Amino acid sequence: MAAATQTDDLIARLAREAGSGGGIGPRALTAILVVAALGGLGLAMALVLALDGPRADLAAAVYRAPFAYKVAGMLTLSLGGLFLAARAALPGSGRLNLAAFLPAVLVLAFRAATDRSGLSVMGNSDISVHECVLTILGVSLPPLAVLLGVMRLGAPTRPALAGAIAGALSGGLGAAAYALACKNDAGLFVAIWYPLAILVMATLGAAAGRRLLAW
Amino acid sequence: MTLREDQWAEAMRAERRGDAVAYDRLLKEIAVVLHRLIRSRLAKFGLSMAETEDVVQEVLIGLHSKRHTWDDTKPFMPWLYAITHYKFIDTARRLRRDAARRVNITMEEMAEIFEAPTEDRDWALLDIDRHLADLSQGQRQVVRALGIDGATVRATAERLHTSEGSVRVLYHRALRRLAAKARRDETP
Repeated sequence: MAAATQTDDLIARLAREAGSGGGIGPRALTAILVVAALGGLGLAMALVLALDGPRADLAAAVYRAPFAYKVAGMLTLSLGGLFLAARAALPGSGRLNLAAFLPAVLVLAFRAATDRSGLSVMGNSDISVHECVLTILGVSLPPLAVLLGVMRLGAPTRPALAGAIAGALSGGLGAAAYALACKNDAGLFVAIWYPLAILVMATLGAAAGRRLLAW
Repeated sequence: MTLREDQWAEAMRAERRGDAVAYDRLLKEIAVVLHRLIRSRLAKFGLSMAETEDVVQEVLIGLHSKRHTWDDTKPFMPWLYAITHYKFIDTARRLRRDAARRVNITMEEMAEIFEAPTEDRDWALLDIDRHLADLSQGQRQVVRALGIDGATVRATAERLHTSEGSVRVLYHRALRRLAAKARRDETP
């Protein structure tokens, strides 16, 4: 019976704190998450420009299909990730259905299937794949840190999955930013190596989330 | 069910207005439901029902510290369920780890056991039987298997058709009981 009294004491103590819950509410948290994603994208873009500089033909490339597909694919993925991240940070707000990433997969697949440019899957040079994957990972890390920090304000009830979602989202933002520098326009290059980098980010995010998002 | 949803959601809103009485009543009602729910689930985790109160308290603290994440325009029960599920899994894991650590035998303890004088062996065995008589059937089996026959936790769990966690818990309880009895015997 001693344990039950302890519980009553605990309840009395908690009840006295009624009305003093000063945390950030669900709608504010969702808004902060959107701002954090935009800020993360800006951060990643600044890093890409600082590390690699823009691709030489950027001014012309932005009006052509390869660039548009890259950015559209990665931003679609980021939108899906943002939707899931808000859900993951707020308990009871619905299932974390990974189908939210499906539109992005469709964009990438459509581009890969309709690409008639004949450009190589391995990119323009021997180091294209390395450079692309490593740069995306590098520029995605700051957004990941920001997003994890924001999600800690909520109450993720599946910390590892929430972290993986934050990782995928930051990977999508990093990859969208990397389009500014990436000279490899083959549809298959973008459909294989970009998602690979994003998967690595999701794995990293899961490992980080398991520790940082537990409460 | 919808009645409870409405009442609890209303109490949560009252809490935000600073209504300590409504919040107190809400937490008590939730504690009662949690108690029933968690009691029946703990055995599956290789934990005894004695840990129920621990888990209930962890859930209540979690609910309290994250209550600002509930959207008061949405149903309360799914939110409560998600928090409960998370805190239950989290606490049960921690308790099981703690139990395993308490039962772990260090190398030094092993060395002591092996180097202990072995004379009066038969007396020692008789003593063991006398002490074991105080334990429950399950505890006796586990102590015999682990402590005297030197079987592994896994083998014992398999033989007794139970989980490794509950073998560890049984063993821990038995040792505590034997230790308490030994203290009583020493100070007559």
